[in-house]
Amino acid sequence: MDLNRNRKLITAALAAAGRGDRDALQTVYRLTTAKLFAVCMRILGERGEAEDALQEVYMTVWRKAAAFDPALSSPMTWLIAIARNRAIDHLRTRGQNRHMEPIEAAVELADDKPIADAALQGAQEQAQLQRCLDALAAHERAALRGAFFDGNTYEELAQRMKVPLGTMKSWIRRAMIKLKACLEQ
Amino acid sequence: MTDLGDHDSFSADELQAAEYALGVLAGAEREAAARRVARERAFAALVAEWEGRLAPWAAEIPELAPPPQVWERIAAALPSVRRQRTGFWQSLVFWRSFGMVSAFAAACLAVLLYLGAGTKQAAFVASIEGDGQRIFVAAVDVKRRAVAVIPVAYRPDPTRVPELWLIPFGGKPLPLGVLPADGLAQIAIPPAFADQASRDAVLAVSLEPPGGSPTGQPTGPVIGSGKLTNL
Repeated sequence: MDLNRNRKLITAALAAAGRGDRDALQTVYRLTTAKLFAVCMRILGERGEAEDALQEVYMTVWRKAAAFDPALSSPMTWLIAIARNRAIDHLRTRGQNRHMEPIEAAVELADDKPIADAALQGAQEQAQLQRCLDALAAHERAALRGAFFDGNTYEELAQRMKVPLGTMKSWIRRAMIKLKACLEQ
Repeated sequence: MTDLGDHDSFSADELQAAEYALGVLAGAEREAAARRVARERAFAALVAEWEGRLAPWAAEIPELAPPPQVWERIAAALPSVRRQRTGFWQSLVFWRSFGMVSAFAAACLAVLLYLGAGTKQAAFVASIEGDGQRIFVAAVDVKRRAVAVIPVAYRPDPTRVPELWLIPFGGKPLPLGVLPADGLAQIAIPPAFADQASRDAVLAVSLEPPGGSPTGQPTGPVIGSGKLTNL
């Protein structure tokens, strides 16, 4: 499905869901659930828990749909943020992250090659983010990756990369400063 | 190496927004950031900017369809009556333009108009209060077995949802359903509970996990309660 049409459909369905239209929520679900479930699964690593988180994601969407402002963010950005937050809430409640294997900054994982996904964001935005991530030092990119995809905290990342907590905080802060500067170019 | 100094090119707000959007915070730090997102528009906008910068990364995660039961569970958890959002008297601006004293009377009146109850005898109202503040007002239409609830000073919680309970005189709480954080909600009272919605019963609101209490009894803090009284 072409990007603009999909984006418009999701935006319109969110607006209707915000007015209390249950069918519209189902439309949002149908258009977005495969991506949001994948995000929950990636962070939580366990099906049952990911399904619970996904249910909470759409209950949150139902409650907050009226507050979604298409001028401020794209609908998928907004939905992905809700999915990541609910999944991370589950992780923090559980208190144990499955993704705790050591991270070797120098080794990029084989399955981390970008996959074009036109339904998600403009290919241009993806390419730009990739270029800016590539411009980071390997250890900075690895730390951001652990946070974004594995839901790791500062403490967990410090442990996985075998550095003191203060070092990890400074890596991530510096990485985010560089990332923002690069994306604004 | 291009050294950017230490953290000095980010303000404290920007740093906190970026950390929250990335997801590296835990415990009290994460809760504090989530509270700011819920309450501070400027901070929420900073977080939204960071979410926008990072979201394209999710393109790397291949899509995965969940089992159909997930939608069935969501559909079952949605309120049975649609929320109504049209009409000027339902807008929060309208409600808040009243002083606190007249707000209650105005709310009751408008809620009754909304329900179309017509006869005062068939209606009860409750001011749901906690911490010295009126948090919600509610009106029960006995004939139509419906309760209308509107937030007055409810502050949305980042992780939990408000759930409405009917507590019969001397009885255990009966779940009426999850309330929206803003706007008027009309909730059907299950026929089995209808007789309990009478004078001196109490309406209470507790904070529950999204979707409502999993046990059928309040599991989170009760943020407000109020007796049903004749209008």
